[in-house]
Amino acid sequence: MKLEQREPLLDSGFWRAVAVMTVISIVLMVGVVVFPVEKYLPEAANISKPIDDLFKFCAFFGAPIFVFINGFLLYFSIRYRRRPDEPIDAVGSEIHEHHGLEVTWTIIPSLLMIVLAVLSYLVIPMYYPTNQAFASAVTLEAIGHKFYYEFRYPGLKQSVMNELHLPIGVPVTVDLTSAEDEQDVHNGAVIHSFWVPEFRVKQDMIPGIVIPIHFTPSEIGMYRIVCSEFCGLGHSHMWGKVIVQTRAEFDAWYADQQRAAASPIAAPLSLAGGNPSAGQTIFNAKCTVCHNAAPFAQRKVGPGLAQLFDDPDHPDLVTGKKATPDNVADILEHGAHGDMGVMPNMQANGLTPKDVADLVAYLRTLR
Amino acid sequence: MAAANAHAVSDAEYAEVSGHRLLGFLFFLISDCVIFGNFIFSYLYLRNAAPLWPPVGIERPYLYLAAVNSIVLFGSGATMHYAMEGMRHDRRSQFIGYTLATIVLGSMFLGGQAYEYTHLLPHTTWAGTTFGASFYTLTGLHGFHVFIGVIFLIVVLLQTLRGTYTQERHFGLTAATLYWHFVDVIWVALFFLFYIY
Amino acid sequence: MSVTHVELPASSHIHPPPDTFIKKYVFSLDHKVIAIQYFITAGLFLVFAGLLAELMRVQLMGPNNHVLSVAVFNQAYSLHGTAMVWLVGIPIVTGAFGNLIMPVQIGARDVAFPWLNMLSFWMLPVAGILVFASLLFGAPQAGWTEYPPVSLQLPLGESLSLWCAGVFVIGVSSTITGLNFLVTIVKMRAPGMTYTRMPLFVWATGVTAFLSMIATANLSAALAGLFIQHNFGVPFYDVTRGGAPVLWQHVFWFYSHPAVYILILPAFGIVSEVIPTFVRRPIFGYKAIAYSSAAIGLLSFMVWAHHMFTSGLQHWEQLFFMLLTMVIAVPTGIKIFSWVTTLWRGKIRLDSPLLFVLGFLSTFTLGGITGVMLASVPADAQEHASYFVVAHIHYVLFGGTIFGIFAGLYYWWPKMTGRMLDERLGKWHFWLMYIFFNLTFLPMHWAGLMGMPRRVATYDPMFAGTNLFVSISSFVLAASILIFIYNAYRSARYGEPAGPNPWGARTLEWMIPSPMPYYNFRDVPIVLSGPYDYGKPLPYANISQDLAMTPVR
Repeated sequence: MKLEQREPLLDSGFWRAVAVMTVISIVLMVGVVVFPVEKYLPEAANISKPIDDLFKFCAFFGAPIFVFINGFLLYFSIRYRRRPDEPIDAVGSEIHEHHGLEVTWTIIPSLLMIVLAVLSYLVIPMYYPTNQAFASAVTLEAIGHKFYYEFRYPGLKQSVMNELHLPIGVPVTVDLTSAEDEQDVHNGAVIHSFWVPEFRVKQDMIPGIVIPIHFTPSEIGMYRIVCSEFCGLGHSHMWGKVIVQTRAEFDAWYADQQRAAASPIAAPLSLAGGNPSAGQTIFNAKCTVCHNAAPFAQRKVGPGLAQLFDDPDHPDLVTGKKATPDNVADILEHGAHGDMGVMPNMQANGLTPKDVADLVAYLRTLR
Repeated sequence: MAAANAHAVSDAEYAEVSGHRLLGFLFFLISDCVIFGNFIFSYLYLRNAAPLWPPVGIERPYLYLAAVNSIVLFGSGATMHYAMEGMRHDRRSQFIGYTLATIVLGSMFLGGQAYEYTHLLPHTTWAGTTFGASFYTLTGLHGFHVFIGVIFLIVVLLQTLRGTYTQERHFGLTAATLYWHFVDVIWVALFFLFYIY
Repeated sequence: MSVTHVELPASSHIHPPPDTFIKKYVFSLDHKVIAIQYFITAGLFLVFAGLLAELMRVQLMGPNNHVLSVAVFNQAYSLHGTAMVWLVGIPIVTGAFGNLIMPVQIGARDVAFPWLNMLSFWMLPVAGILVFASLLFGAPQAGWTEYPPVSLQLPLGESLSLWCAGVFVIGVSSTITGLNFLVTIVKMRAPGMTYTRMPLFVWATGVTAFLSMIATANLSAALAGLFIQHNFGVPFYDVTRGGAPVLWQHVFWFYSHPAVYILILPAFGIVSEVIPTFVRRPIFGYKAIAYSSAAIGLLSFMVWAHHMFTSGLQHWEQLFFMLLTMVIAVPTGIKIFSWVTTLWRGKIRLDSPLLFVLGFLSTFTLGGITGVMLASVPADAQEHASYFVVAHIHYVLFGGTIFGIFAGLYYWWPKMTGRMLDERLGKWHFWLMYIFFNLTFLPMHWAGLMGMPRRVATYDPMFAGTNLFVSISSFVLAASILIFIYNAYRSARYGEPAGPNPWGARTLEWMIPSPMPYYNFRDVPIVLSGPYDYGKPLPYANISQDLAMTPVR
């Protein structure tokens, strides 16, 4: 300001306000730097920290901007309020431009944005493989289904449902896609999303495209897999687990899986001792996404199940077998698919053998 | 202030109002262009995403009929231009003759397109493949525009016969001409995209 | 200042006003009546869409709640988003405020095409009926974005056709309004009103009109694509036949990103009008604010894919859209800094319009900062499609657009109705809304970062406390609107007459009586300089000079 005036344009009150806001900003900026994110949400993969740092970069520079804008709003609207003794048509300063100031607040944010863009661009290749170097890492396939995740490991015949076991410290590439058996847009695959908040990894699973993402788990623990892309009636319940283990634990688990594949016939489920009220709780928590406890015609994704065992119009199950408790348990255990869509198996639905027995007992109480 | 009688529109007022309408009509054509742009983007996106183009079992559309059809449509652009010149120089018979020619050529284009749809593309259906989806949506949308253009020209021709337009006052004709040329230009893009590229 | 001879528009004679009830209030051609029609219709939709939001908050008060079935919950958020964007936000900021104020501010007697204006309005109730009627036939459940393939799936998409038709109709209406306003601004400014003398609200409305015209035409095409895919199986988005679900995301966001600027730019315009009036000094950086609107308008067409960072874009696309998205923060920052600087050394009157503007600046700033966080591709990996995004969009569209709308309502209410609103009720309204807005949406940032996805009817019990708190706050937030409704009723019954210029403002709409007479100006005004030079003589010739300049309050 080159204007010669008795009273300086920026008076001592202004500078006091600036001092207060500076102190608040510094406190907040230091707070952003030292904030222990990992205490609230573990940084469980190698890319978690760089991503949190980008967030902190934005928060670090966002904090003073927020404090100064709100601080000036508050300070100016109190300091320059029209006093009751001033004339009602009193007007304020005539100053309506100042090129230096305007250039400053154009240049500084632009520079900040460029720095942020560069920093962000340096982080992107850490989880989106840009070249063939990552091909050497362990590659898994993750397939989104309605409404569960299927994982395929190299060398394992059968898929693992909803549980992703990973050894700590080993770089993995996960090839993400989405698929259903139906080749029809009305029942076929939809877009899901693979989000592990503790990893800071999120990638949509898109039918027809395989998108690889890359990361290295760095902390032992069990974390959530969340579907964040709306995928249908079961979206709210589409949860999986990531289990990061030591190499030894992982190898033991992997060996178990190989044995299970070699001897597929497990002991048949026992339906004895099913508890209808426990079954009702499970039904309400898990099955009501797709099924009503109502007559057949009241379908959601699948049919209503109230008359499952004595519906003269539908004597057979979707598998073509008679509606007996054992055959119903078979569907619960292995899943089924029919013209209405796919019923996931017991592992995908997170059911134990006891749960299946309880559910069958509950379904038998419905009439 | 200006004219007191609201019914008798002065020349100045006619010029002003038709200036507004002309700008509005241009804006309409721009937004129409965006609609074509959207489907052209979709076509290029799907084409780019496809492993093979055109998809298996789909024949490329027949170039020669489309080429003849293009000549017909561009010819109609020329006749439209001469029709407008006729109106500008107050040569009524020139205007009427050339407008009639434009209508006939436009209808011939539509006939050619109908023949192509029904006889030349036995395996390409609208709902069959992404190629059919883009092809029929875009050329169909364009054909619909030509159809509207023909109706538009018939209406302005009838209005001319009733004496609605004069050498000085013919905004409706200006709009029809602009529209017709716009439809021509869109066809250039579609012809290139579907028959040559 | 010398008044040179000015050519007046040839069509500046006054037509006789309509005399029948139908012509006057129903199928009116008068932009002011149409504006009020927009306010009432969109206001009804606002109440309805707001109730849908509260229904959702009831369901989300606890995990595993069964107040609503999952299907009804999905329909509630889908129609909430659809209605708030297309039936409430865009009609109010363009149709209502644009119609009420823009023609008067440029010194025109009406918009360029009054008949089209009426047509645009009547498309709004038609669109509203189509969209809400879908509830009767199983409303779409895939959110306001309706991403295929899930939106096409049964039993979710039973009445997707109705939804498409409804949004298509409002899209066409918005395109027509944009075209109409743009012609009005280009062609019908009063003599002497150069572009750099236009009020900033007109600048904002002009850029918005441009966006409506271009982007919304694209929306119509995109919806047509979804419609024919849904009804005739034309495989644009059907991956089993070579279609691409991501294509919809491109064509949809190519409209819907400019759409958020359609929603926010007029609110920027309102802020630019309210601030100088209540701070009693020229706005700081007129040209910077005007040109930054234009810059935002152009850039908004080049940032759409930042909504799609998790859908497998190429690297160059990620870099391109990230960079441009960050660049768009710069003109937005310029506006905010200019507005804050305008407060410096003013003679501020803290009446309710200014309070809402201050609330706008405070909340929108936070929305802008979180917007930059979302622009960074890696950081977006954690934030995308979570409650963080829900919080962000409500900070910019509720904290921005809705606060802007209320600022505009409190500001122009006297002009529109001729009566004042109650100041004390206005202040109560503001403080309740400001406090509970923040209490409602601030905690959502945290829930999102911790792993709560959006569009879920139930959630991990770890979020139970946050969600209960948010739900209760949102009930108070909704109730604060009741104060405004009561205030409007009270103003109609007992409000004191406003007079032509109760705030002592200087733009042209305050130079004529309140409510504005049919055909606005007895004589077409002549503009001699810009509108914000407080303390100087009025920059107009040819208007009745007996209207008071000093604020009466």
